[in-house]
Amino acid sequence: MGSLEGIIAGFQVAFSLEGLLFVMIGVFVGTFIGMMPGLGPISAIAVMIPITFGMDPAPALVMMAGVYYGAIFGGSTSSILLNAPGVSGAVATAFDGYPMAQQGKAGKALAIAAISSFIGGTVSVILLMLLAPMLSSVAISFGPPAYFALMLMGLTAISSLSEGSTIKALISAVAGFMIVTIGIDAQTGTQRFTFGNVNLLEGIDFLVIALGLFALAEVCTLIIKRKDLSQENAHKLGSMRLSKQDFKDMSGPVTRHSFLGFILGVLPGAGATIASFISYITEKKLSKNPEEFGKGSVKGLAAPETANNAATSGAFVPLLSLGIPGSGTTAVMLGAFLVLGVQPGPLLMTDRPEIFWGIIASMYIGNVFLLILNLPLIPYFAKILKIPRPLLISLVIMFSIIGVYAISFNTFDLYMLLLFGVVGFVMRLFSFPAPPFILAFILGGMMEQAFRQSLTISNGSLTVFVQDPIALTLLIVALLSFVFPLIRVIRSRRA
Amino acid sequence: MLKTVNQRISLVLIVVGIGYLILAFQLPSYAYVPVDADIVPITLGILLILLASCLYFSKDSETEEQKARRKIPKKDIGALLAVFSFIFVYILFLELMGFVLMTMLFIFFCSWFLGYKKHLSNALVSILFPLCMYGMFTEFLNISLPQGLWPF
Repeated sequence: MGSLEGIIAGFQVAFSLEGLLFVMIGVFVGTFIGMMPGLGPISAIAVMIPITFGMDPAPALVMMAGVYYGAIFGGSTSSILLNAPGVSGAVATAFDGYPMAQQGKAGKALAIAAISSFIGGTVSVILLMLLAPMLSSVAISFGPPAYFALMLMGLTAISSLSEGSTIKALISAVAGFMIVTIGIDAQTGTQRFTFGNVNLLEGIDFLVIALGLFALAEVCTLIIKRKDLSQENAHKLGSMRLSKQDFKDMSGPVTRHSFLGFILGVLPGAGATIASFISYITEKKLSKNPEEFGKGSVKGLAAPETANNAATSGAFVPLLSLGIPGSGTTAVMLGAFLVLGVQPGPLLMTDRPEIFWGIIASMYIGNVFLLILNLPLIPYFAKILKIPRPLLISLVIMFSIIGVYAISFNTFDLYMLLLFGVVGFVMRLFSFPAPPFILAFILGGMMEQAFRQSLTISNGSLTVFVQDPIALTLLIVALLSFVFPLIRVIRSRRA
Repeated sequence: MLKTVNQRISLVLIVVGIGYLILAFQLPSYAYVPVDADIVPITLGILLILLASCLYFSKDSETEEQKARRKIPKKDIGALLAVFSFIFVYILFLELMGFVLMTMLFIFFCSWFLGYKKHLSNALVSILFPLCMYGMFTEFLNISLPQGLWPF
C-alpha cells in the first residue's frame, strides 16, 4: 500500500462513525479522569486498557490516544480551579491559571487553556504527520545494535525524569529493569527468578506495575489527604468570553510554543512537564512585563498550556515511528499497543497504515472535540471535582482490580498489584520517581533482546556496537545526553 | 554509620542487590550460546549495588516538601493499613463470592470507613457501579468476571 493510500485508509478509520465515536469517548473519559485530583494520564490510560480488550486495534488505539491528550487537558482544569494539578505537565498552568481563578476569572482561564491546547495540539499533529513517516523510513534499516543504542538513548532520559536526585532515578530504573527479568527467558528458555511459581513464568504484566505504581500509590496519597477540603474551595467560573486584547496576548506565545513544545516532546525524556516549564520560563524572559507573571497573566497561562499539548503529540513521533517510548506515559501507551497485538515501530506505517495514520488523523478530530465538547461542558465538569474523596478512592481501587483481573483472570496478579501499590507508595515517601521504573520496565525487555541479538550476530563480540555507524552515533549521543546533565549538576554544586 | 535516610535506604538496596546477584549467579549457563540468560541480571545486580553505594555517600537533596511526605499521622497509617486489608479481603473472596457482591460490599464499606456519611448515595453507587461494570464486561466486551454466588 502506498503512503497516500495509507493516509486515506487512516482518515477513513478516523472519520468513520466508529472512529468518531471512540475519539469522542476517549477524549471525554480522558478529560474526566485527568481532572480528578491525583489521577494523571498514566492512570487514565492504564485504567482504560481493559476496556479495549477484544476491540479492533485501530479504533481502540484511536480511543487510547484520545484518553492521553484528554487527560492532559483535564489536568489543567483542576490546576486552574483548585491549584491542584492532577498531572505534573499541568503544574506550570497553575502559576497563572489559579491566580486568574482567584480573581473570579476562572471561566476565562479555562477558555484560554482550551484554545491554547487546541492550537498547540493541532499544529503539533501537522508536524507529527510530517516527521513520523520520515523517521520511520530511516529507522526501517536499523539492525539490533542500532535499536539497542536507540533504546539506551531513551533510557538516558531518566536523568531528566528525576525529581531532584539522579541517583534515585537511576536506582528506580534499575529496579524496573530487574522486575522485567522475572519469567522465562525468551532466547534460552531459562526460568529466571520465578521461585518455581507457575504464575511468574510469563513474567509480571505491565498493567500490574502501571496500576500498582501509579493508581494504587495515588490512592494511598488520597487516603492521607482525604480530609483536605480544597475541593470545596473551587472558585466560581465567571464569564468565559475572551476580549480582543486577550486573543492578541495569546497569539505570540501560542505560535512560539506550539513548535517549541513539539520539539521538546519528540526528545526522549523531555515530555509535557519539561516542555511546559521551559515555555513558561521562556515566555517570562521574552515578556516586556515579566512582573505580571504569576499574578494571572494571559501569556503565562497560554504558553505552558500550548506547550504541554504540543509535547503530547510530539511524544508520539518516537513512539509510532521507532516503537520507543520517551516518557512514563508513552511507555504505558506502548503497553496499550502491545496488549492489542500491535507493535509500534518503523514497520507500523507500512504493515498497519490504517492504525498509524488512523491515530494521527484522529488527533485532528480529537483536538476539535476537546474544544467544542469541553468548552461548553466545563461548568458541569467542574462538578467532578466535588466527588467525595472516600468514594473516589473506592472506585479507583475497583477499576484497578478489574483492569488486572480482566487481563490475567487469576487472583495472583491481584496480590502482585497490591504489592506494587505498596512499593509505589514507599517509593513516593522516599522520593524515588516512578516514571523511570515503568520506562525501564517497558524498554528493559526490548533492550535485553536487542543486546543479545546483536551479540549473537557478532558471536559475542562487543565491537558490533562500534562497527555499525548508526549504533555508534546513537551511543555517543546517549553518552553525551547522560553526561551533560551530570556535569551541570556538579558545576552548580561547586558554584 | 546510619545517620541519614539515604544511608539506611542504600543499605537495604545493597542487601537486595546482593540477594539478586546470588540468584543471578545460580542461573544455568549453556554451551554454544554466546550470550547467556544471566548476563543482564548480573550486570543489573552490580549496577544496583554501585548506585546504592553512591546513594550512601550522596548528600541529601530532598526538599522540605518531599520530607514532609513521610510525616504521616498515626491515624492515617491506621487508615492505610485498614484499606489495604479491605483490598486483601476483596481479592481473597473475589472468585468465591463473585465480582458483583464483593465489589458492592467493598465500595460501600471502604467509602464508609473513609468518612463518607451519605449512606443513601453511597448505597446507590455501591449497587449501580458494580452492576454496570459487570454488565459492560460480560455482555459488551465478552470478558467474564468472576460470577461466584451471583445468579446471572
